[in-house]
Amino acid sequence: MKLRFILALWAAKLSQPLLKITGHKGTNFPGELALKLCPEFLRYIAKPARIVAVTGTDGKTSVTNLICDMLEASGQRVLSNRAGANTNAGVSTCLLSGATIFNRTRFDVAALEVDERSAGRVYPYVKPQLIAVTNLFRDSIMRNGHPEFIASFLTANLPAESRLVLNADDLISSSVAPDNPRVYFGLDRLPTDVTDCINRLNDLRICPKCAGKLEYEYRRYHHIGRARCADCGFRSPDYDYEGKDVDLANMTITVADKSGSQTYRLLSDSIFNIYNLLTAVAVLREMGMDHQTIAGLAEKIDIVSSRFQAEKVGQVEVVMQMAKDRNALACSRAFDYVASRPGEKEILLMMNNLSDEVEWSENVCWLYDCDFEFLNNEQITHIVTTGPRGKDYNLRLRLAGVPEERISWARKEMDAADKLYLRPGSSVYILYGADNRSLDMGFRVREKVVKLAEEAGK
Amino acid sequence: MKIEVIYPEICNLYGDLMNAEYLARSCGAELVNTGLKEKPRFLSEKIPLVFMGTTTERGQELARDAFAPWLDGLKQRTRAGGLTLLTGNALELFGEYIQEEDGNRIPMLGLFPIHAERRMMARYNSLYLGKYGEMDIVGFKSQFSHSYGDNGEGLFTTTRGAGLNPGVKAEGLRWNNLMATYLVGPLTIVNPPFAKELLRLMGVEEPHLEFEEAAMDAYRTRVEEFSDPNRGFTYH
Repeated sequence: MKLRFILALWAAKLSQPLLKITGHKGTNFPGELALKLCPEFLRYIAKPARIVAVTGTDGKTSVTNLICDMLEASGQRVLSNRAGANTNAGVSTCLLSGATIFNRTRFDVAALEVDERSAGRVYPYVKPQLIAVTNLFRDSIMRNGHPEFIASFLTANLPAESRLVLNADDLISSSVAPDNPRVYFGLDRLPTDVTDCINRLNDLRICPKCAGKLEYEYRRYHHIGRARCADCGFRSPDYDYEGKDVDLANMTITVADKSGSQTYRLLSDSIFNIYNLLTAVAVLREMGMDHQTIAGLAEKIDIVSSRFQAEKVGQVEVVMQMAKDRNALACSRAFDYVASRPGEKEILLMMNNLSDEVEWSENVCWLYDCDFEFLNNEQITHIVTTGPRGKDYNLRLRLAGVPEERISWARKEMDAADKLYLRPGSSVYILYGADNRSLDMGFRVREKVVKLAEEAGK
Repeated sequence: MKIEVIYPEICNLYGDLMNAEYLARSCGAELVNTGLKEKPRFLSEKIPLVFMGTTTERGQELARDAFAPWLDGLKQRTRAGGLTLLTGNALELFGEYIQEEDGNRIPMLGLFPIHAERRMMARYNSLYLGKYGEMDIVGFKSQFSHSYGDNGEGLFTTTRGAGLNPGVKAEGLRWNNLMATYLVGPLTIVNPPFAKELLRLMGVEEPHLEFEEAAMDAYRTRVEEFSDPNRGFTYH
């Protein structure tokens, strides 16, 4: 087996410069090759002494990047699959790139994003000291089915020795692997919290223990909040790391734990990104960093620009907002965020999964779990739907109450940009999908919108 | 007029609930929800449509236990021609049992002579193209299990995709106006002609759907897409 591993290591290593020369950067091929030649490649590949993994439905790329950025800013050599290649092949590619040809690691710590469904192929060989689970929601129905299934899958596959950093505000993910050591983070009541669910997607409507009625002390969105069962008393766990005093005017949050509290700079005003920061702080605290050091590191970093990017072009603001396709939760959060932004805005709705279009035809069930109703907002004056599922978006928007006169449609994405009004003082939000083809298309459309906005501003 | 949604607190996956909402909005019916600990209203009231959607594996057992006392009432309703629509794995509740990978059999309500075989690590995802009479039916399958046994002519006749299981053409189950299909999600929205048929069966004389034109536009596009032999049909 050892000889097989060395052959796999060298062959996969050799493939990396070859891929670069041939212009095939950023693929999982080296990891796939290594696993093909040596199925237990992940067992033998050299790993940094400290490993932290991040998993969960939403936010794992952002949290991994935050952890990685802050650790790097602290001077540590950090190995990370930050681009989001999070399957066993992606993790193999990442660890391979961090090892020498003599199989010695060149890094102090690894921050790994691990896809939930890859847990069974990664964790038998990679044993992180810490695993953060951001949350569990209904994700792609094709891959994940429902969060109850993913929670049970994680419970069966997370290493028994890993300490878990869990979201106390999510009764699904906070219940995984009950025998593992754990700490909880959570965000104290916010002025915008409610008690009844206003979202279509609500993955936990009954007590996970006794099927009784859940009552929420406060609910942030969907099933996220603090709940207790009226029948059996089961309730959300207490916070070990409590986010509180969120101040959006000054963009700060306080994080308190048993050792004290610290004010942190917020990197974004969206609640989802506040949770992402809180998760990263909890992980770094568990890695032994003090609050003051982490707060200093947080000053030096930003969120990844491929997910959110705003730019003033002429008299129009052009905003790129990723809205993960096929994911009702991610799109609901993006819609809620966009609707809550001040000012008049137009939206270019193009979260089509263009890779699906090559393979088959996108399953659109998620549209009816998703809160398109947030887009029925007076300040959203115009929505352009486009791409292969443009007609489905059109119907869904109508059912959400958006008046017909506010909706335009163009089959081709590049033509959709021409439908925008680009009124002075307004914003244009381009909501684009997360698969590689959709990312590429999103940024091509952005270029055209920028050009049109420049011309309109002359 | 009322549409009763059975156990929406657990039978709510994949946008299935929108089926009942769309029909209700299209005919002005009142949507009434019946929870796990409640007695279904169709047992004592005139309910033109009873609907139950997809649930989790734990949800199937909860729903089975909750519904067992009312099964005879459903039989009576069905014999009398009452309309009931079951989508996704709600269909499996009315088979004889669900067999897990390790051979364990979970008893179900036994209304139909079929059983389901569950494979949690082999999720089946497919597009669907079929017929309801002369009507084209399009839809999506996304499931951990298939069912086997005698489903007669089923609810739909498969043109492309799997029937009750990949080996048969008859999709779903039908007994009088009790209709069950493995298709998940917004079945009535992506199939406006079928939605209008359901409204007719509910007693709506001249059914008209909300945003019917937009729905028909999307439907025609999808039928064309799914009929294209070069279009991939399964997700890997």
